[in-house]
Amino acid sequence: MLLSGLLLIPFVGTFVLLLWPTGASPQRLRLVTIVILLAQLALSLVVVGVFDPAAAGMQLQEHHSWVPGIGLDYALGVDGLSLPLVLINAALTLVAAVITRDIDKRPRIYFAMLLLISGAVNGAFLAENLLLFFLFYELELIPLWLLISVWGGVNRAYAATKFLIFTAISGMLILGAFLGLALLTGTVDFSLTPVLSDRLAMGGQLLLLGALLIGFGIKIPLVPFHNWLPDAHTQASTPVSVILAGVLLKLGTYGLLRFGLQLFPEAWARLAPALAIWAAISVLYGSLAAIAQTDMKRMVAFSSVGHMGYVLLAAAAGTPVALLGAVFQMVSHGLISALLFLLVGIVYRKTGTRDLHVLHGLLNPEKGLPLTGSLMIVAVMASAGLPGMAGFISEFLVFRGSIGIFPVATLLSMVGSGLTAVYFLLLVNRAFFGRLAVTPPSGDSLIDARLDVRLAPVAPRETLPAIALAAAVVLLGLVPASLGRLSEVATTAMATVASTVAALSLGVV
Amino acid sequence: MPVISAELVHADPSLAVEELQRRLLAGQTLLSDTPDHLLEVVAVLESYGEVLDAYSINLIYQAEKQFLNPVPIFKYLDGDLSLAKIWRHLNHDRINFEYAEYCQKAMFWHGTGGMDAYLDSPDFAANCRAIIKAKSRRDPLLALLNPLFPQFLPELIRSAATTHALGQFWRVMSDLFLDLARAERDGAVRMIPQVVDFIMDGLVAAAANPIRYGVEIAGQHFWVLPPEANLTFLVDVAVPYVEAVFLRGMPFLGTVSFNAQAQQISPDQAQFAYGALYADPLPSMGAGIPPSLLMQDMYRHLPASLHQWYRERTRGEGDVRVKICMSFQKAMFCVTNAAINGTMPHSLQATDAAQQSANSAYALAWATRLAAGRTDCLAA
Repeated sequence: MLLSGLLLIPFVGTFVLLLWPTGASPQRLRLVTIVILLAQLALSLVVVGVFDPAAAGMQLQEHHSWVPGIGLDYALGVDGLSLPLVLINAALTLVAAVITRDIDKRPRIYFAMLLLISGAVNGAFLAENLLLFFLFYELELIPLWLLISVWGGVNRAYAATKFLIFTAISGMLILGAFLGLALLTGTVDFSLTPVLSDRLAMGGQLLLLGALLIGFGIKIPLVPFHNWLPDAHTQASTPVSVILAGVLLKLGTYGLLRFGLQLFPEAWARLAPALAIWAAISVLYGSLAAIAQTDMKRMVAFSSVGHMGYVLLAAAAGTPVALLGAVFQMVSHGLISALLFLLVGIVYRKTGTRDLHVLHGLLNPEKGLPLTGSLMIVAVMASAGLPGMAGFISEFLVFRGSIGIFPVATLLSMVGSGLTAVYFLLLVNRAFFGRLAVTPPSGDSLIDARLDVRLAPVAPRETLPAIALAAAVVLLGLVPASLGRLSEVATTAMATVASTVAALSLGVV
Repeated sequence: MPVISAELVHADPSLAVEELQRRLLAGQTLLSDTPDHLLEVVAVLESYGEVLDAYSINLIYQAEKQFLNPVPIFKYLDGDLSLAKIWRHLNHDRINFEYAEYCQKAMFWHGTGGMDAYLDSPDFAANCRAIIKAKSRRDPLLALLNPLFPQFLPELIRSAATTHALGQFWRVMSDLFLDLARAERDGAVRMIPQVVDFIMDGLVAAAANPIRYGVEIAGQHFWVLPPEANLTFLVDVAVPYVEAVFLRGMPFLGTVSFNAQAQQISPDQAQFAYGALYADPLPSMGAGIPPSLLMQDMYRHLPASLHQWYRERTRGEGDVRVKICMSFQKAMFCVTNAAINGTMPHSLQATDAAQQSANSAYALAWATRLAAGRTDCLAA
C-alpha cells in the first residue's frame, strides 16, 4: 500500500483543494499544498527506508487486475531506477509550491494542478504496466498545459499550444508503440517483460522502438524534437519551469531506459551506435544553441537539451557504469536545472528582465542580488561538472561508462561539457559581474556610473529553497554513494540483461 | 528588448557647467538647501570627524614613532601592544587606517603645493642626511640599506613628512566637523549655506597655521619640516589634499582595469578624475580610492538621527554604506564649495568689471572640473 499512498496523497490533495471553499486566500491554499507535499516527501522517504538496495527487481509491488480485457492492470513497483526519480519528484514539487507567490488568479486550480502533476508523475515512475504508465504519462499533460497557458507569460498561449501539440504526438507514438506490441505479438500482455526475437521479429522491434524513441525523444527533448521546450520554459512561471525541467523531462529519459532498453534490448543493441551519435548531436546542438541565447531562461532551457543528451549516450552505451551515470544525470540535472530556473526567476522578479544585454553587475554586494549571484555561480559550476558537485559525478560516470563503447560520441559529448562552461560563464560574466545596471550600457563609463539602480532586496525566504537545492547538489557531489547505493543493483542488472540479450542476438555467445 | 520598469532606473540629474558656475557666482551653495541635505551633511560630517580624529592620531603616531621603520608591523596599534588590542585588530574591530594611508599616498604621488616643492629642496636633502646618519648609528639595517639604495631612506622620510602633514590637517578638520555638529545641535546652523560658511570660516581661521614636523633620535631633535620652510595649513596641505583626494585620486585600484596604452588613462596626471567627488558610491571596485573602507568606518560612528534616516530608505541597513557614500559626497561638495568661496579672487559683491571677470573665470574653471563629478547628488 506504500506505493499507492504515493499516488493517493497528491490525488486526494487535488480533490481537497478543488473542493476547498471559494474565497480561501492563496496563502492558505499554498500552505495546505505544502503540507500535502511534505506528507508525500515523508512517505517517499519511508519508501526509501524500506527499500532493499541489495535486491534486484521490482519491490513493494502491488497488483490488481483493472480492465483485463485490454490488459490494463493496476500494477505498481519500485526499483533503483524509479526510486530516485520518485524522490526528486516529491522534493521539487515541494520546492515549486514553496516558491509560488503572488498567485492572483484561481489559486485553487493552480495548486490542485501542481498536486495532480506530482501524483501523475509518481504514477508513471511506479507503473509496472505499459498502459498504466501511458495513462499517467498523459494525465500529467493537461495540468501542465493549464499551468503554462493560464499562469504563464505574454506568449503563453503560443507556448502552451506548441507544448500540447508536441507532447500529444509524443503520447500518440508511445501509445501506438504499446498497442503495436499487442498487435504484433498477438497478446494483451502489457507487463514489463523484455520482447525478444522469439516473440517479435527484429523489423517489428525496430519499428516499435523507433516510435518509442521519437515519442520519448520529444519529451526529453532531443534534437530535433526540442523545439517546444525553450518556448515552454520562457513562458512558464518559475515554479512550473522548476517542475518541467526537474521532473517532467525525466519522464522521457525514464521511458527510454524502462521501455526502450529494457523492453527491446535486442533492437536497442542494434540501434545503439546511431543513438550515441544522436546523443552527441543533441549535446553539441543544445550547448551551441545555449551560447547564442541572450535570454537567461532560454539559455538554461537549451542547456537542458544538451545535458539530457548525456542520458541518451549512457543508455546507448548500456554498461553498468554508464547506466548508473544516467540515473545520476537525471537526478543531478533535476536538482541543478531546478536551481538554475529558480535563480533566474529571482533575477526576473527583481529586475523585470532576463536579457543578458541589459543585466549587469547583479553580484553587487549592497544594491544587487549578491546571494542569488553566489548561488548562481554554484549552480553553473555544478552544471559545468566541477568536481565536488553532483554534475561531476554524473558526467564522469556517463563518460567513463561510455567511452569504451562509443569513443567518438563520448568525446564529442565531452566537448559539450566544456561548452557548458562557455555559455554559463558568459551568463555569469554578463549578468553578475561589472558595475550594477539594468539598462543597455551607453559605453561611457561616467554616464553608466550615474544610473542608480534600485532593486528590491531578496528576502531570505525567497533564497531558502535555492540554498536547499544548492546544498543538495553539493551533498550529492560529496557523498555520491547515497544515491549510488539505491540504484547500483538495478542499473547493473539492467546492463547485464541488456548486454546478455544483445550478445545472444548478435551470436557472440 | 524587454521593457525596463522606470522604477529601476532614474534619470540622470547631473548639473551642467553653466549651472555650477552660476551657483558659485550667485553665492548659492552647490548643494541645494533642503532639510534632508542638512541632516545628511551635518551628521555624516560628524561621523567623519570622529573617524578623522582616529586617522589623525594614527598618522601622527606613525610619522613620529614608526619613523624609518622599514617593517612597521604594529603601526596601526598606536603603541598599545596589549593582547586585547591585538585581538580586536585581528578581529577587525578597528578603524580602517588603510584608508588614511591611501589618502596619504595619493597626496604624496600627486605632489602639488609648497610641501612637495620643499621635499625636493637641498635644505630637505641636508636634513635627511643628518637624520639618516644619526639613525644609522643605532640601526644596522638602515646602515646597510642606505649605501645600497641611497634614494630609499630619503623617500621614506618624504612619505613620513606627508603622513605627518596629513595628520595635522585632519586634526583641524576633525575638530571643525565636530564643532559643526555641535553648532547645528545648538541651533546656530540651520541651513546648507550656513554649513558652507561654517566650514569656510574654519578653513580661513586655520589657513596660516604652521605645518612643522620633527623627530627625536637618541634624545636629539631633528626637523623634517622645519619652521624655516614656512609651510602653512591652507596652501601647502589643504589645497594639495583637495586636489589629490577630492579631485584626482588614484587609478589602478579595484577590479575595473584601465589600459594606459589605449589612452584610457590620461598621460597628464593633472587630468586625473578618480577622486572622492567622482567616486561611484556603488562598491563595484572601480578605480580610485576605495570609498567602502571609509564608509565602514563612518558606519561605526553614525549619529542616531542619520542612522534612522538611512533605515527608512531603499534597503535600510542592507545598502547603508552606499547611502553613507552618497551623503559623504554631498558633504564633500560642501567642503569644496567652502574652499572655492574662500579662495575666490574677489568679493562676489565686486562691481568692477575686471574683478567680476576674474571671479567668473575662476568659477568657470572649478565648474568645469566639478561638472564631470557626481553632481547628480546635488539636486534635492
